[in-house]
Amino acid sequence: MNIKEYIESGIIEAYVLGLASESEKAEFEQLCTQYPELVAARKDFEEGLEKHASEQATQPPVGVKVKVLEAIADTTTKGVEPVSINPPKIVTMPQEKRGSSGLLRFIAAASVVLLIFLTFFAYKSYKQNQDLESSNAALKEKLNSTQKTLDAIVDETNVVKNPNATVVNMVGTKVAPKSSANVYWDSTNNNVFLVVKNMPQLPSDKQYQLWALIDGKPTDLGVFDSKSDKVILKMKDTRKAQAFAITIEKQGGSPSPTLDSMQSLGKTLQSQ
Amino acid sequence: MGIPTTYNTEQELVLALKRRDNQAFGALYDNYAGALYSIIKQIITDNPELASDVLQEVFINIYRKIDTYDQTKGRLFTWMLNIARNASIDTLRSKSYQNSQKNQELPDNVYKGTANQSIQLNVDNIGLKKVLEKLRPEHRVLVELAYFKGFTHEEIAEMMSIPLGTVKTRIRNALLQLREYLQ
Repeated sequence: MNIKEYIESGIIEAYVLGLASESEKAEFEQLCTQYPELVAARKDFEEGLEKHASEQATQPPVGVKVKVLEAIADTTTKGVEPVSINPPKIVTMPQEKRGSSGLLRFIAAASVVLLIFLTFFAYKSYKQNQDLESSNAALKEKLNSTQKTLDAIVDETNVVKNPNATVVNMVGTKVAPKSSANVYWDSTNNNVFLVVKNMPQLPSDKQYQLWALIDGKPTDLGVFDSKSDKVILKMKDTRKAQAFAITIEKQGGSPSPTLDSMQSLGKTLQSQ
Repeated sequence: MGIPTTYNTEQELVLALKRRDNQAFGALYDNYAGALYSIIKQIITDNPELASDVLQEVFINIYRKIDTYDQTKGRLFTWMLNIARNASIDTLRSKSYQNSQKNQELPDNVYKGTANQSIQLNVDNIGLKKVLEKLRPEHRVLVELAYFKGFTHEEIAEMMSIPLGTVKTRIRNALLQLREYLQ
């Protein structure tokens, strides 16, 4: 290659001014590594261009330097590596806009995360609420039945503790010496309660029947079984009674007692 | 002018810049902003405010890209001049700028026609354009389009309805004349 001819071809000027094509640039740079005179000619033109440009310099507006230094200080403090970013955007966007768009993006992302959390917690608390409601209902039911049982026990206790009640201790007869029961008879309201202490098991077609003996005549006060889940049995009321008696009768009771099957007998104060 | 006074050689200045020495950068601005602003204003001829925005952008880019500057390929000023020219032409071609120019004449109408008419190009008598004045009109138009408007040789050939080879030759000749004027 005739380097002198190449130097005089105008390629130096085209290269320096940025008017050379990519292949021309590559060739020029390659030749620069081989021909110092080409480099020297390039430097000549560059210096002439720089000198001329400096002579023709136009004073830029005062504010530009401050803005540039501010932008650079921003870059330095943020530690951002110098990367090629689309420059027009960097300059024309005011700082606040950049900040607010970042803030907006952050808020948007945070909102999505928050929404997911809220949905999750709403579902969780809904489920928890349902569970609580059903367990609450179960507890209420349990409480009701317990209250009922307690009421019954209190009632029964009241009978035993009732100062107006007459306790008639019924003892076994010759037929059933071990049978025993107590009758609690409240003369103020005529209520009769029976506490079974020990009554032998009966065949399924038989029941015990309680009688009140009023002026020698037996009056039915109701039937009961030998085994009951209740401690105290509420029997029929009676205003008067000289004695109470228990007989074994057919299921459901009899209109008049079968006296030879009398199990126990107790006399009241009225009999004396 | 040339190298800032506090730095003995251009290499010293470049090393300080690559260290992200803000003081060196301030000195760089003081020494070259005027020359680059002049070039920018020769490309963005009708909007001084936009031109100063581009200058600001150019210096920020110089700061960001200083690591890519290779001293073996040319002087620092040449590198900065090309950044300034490219940024100006990009701005000239941006959509927002084009929209602001909507009501102005189309480039076709401006550049077609006789050599005499093309003398009326909006050439301000400043900077390199002053040098262009000394060129033959048919050469000047081509340099104007290639350098200050950023058109490729192919685009110029099509625009001016002249063969691509002629465009290349004329531009090369114009550039050679330019060198003589600059020396």
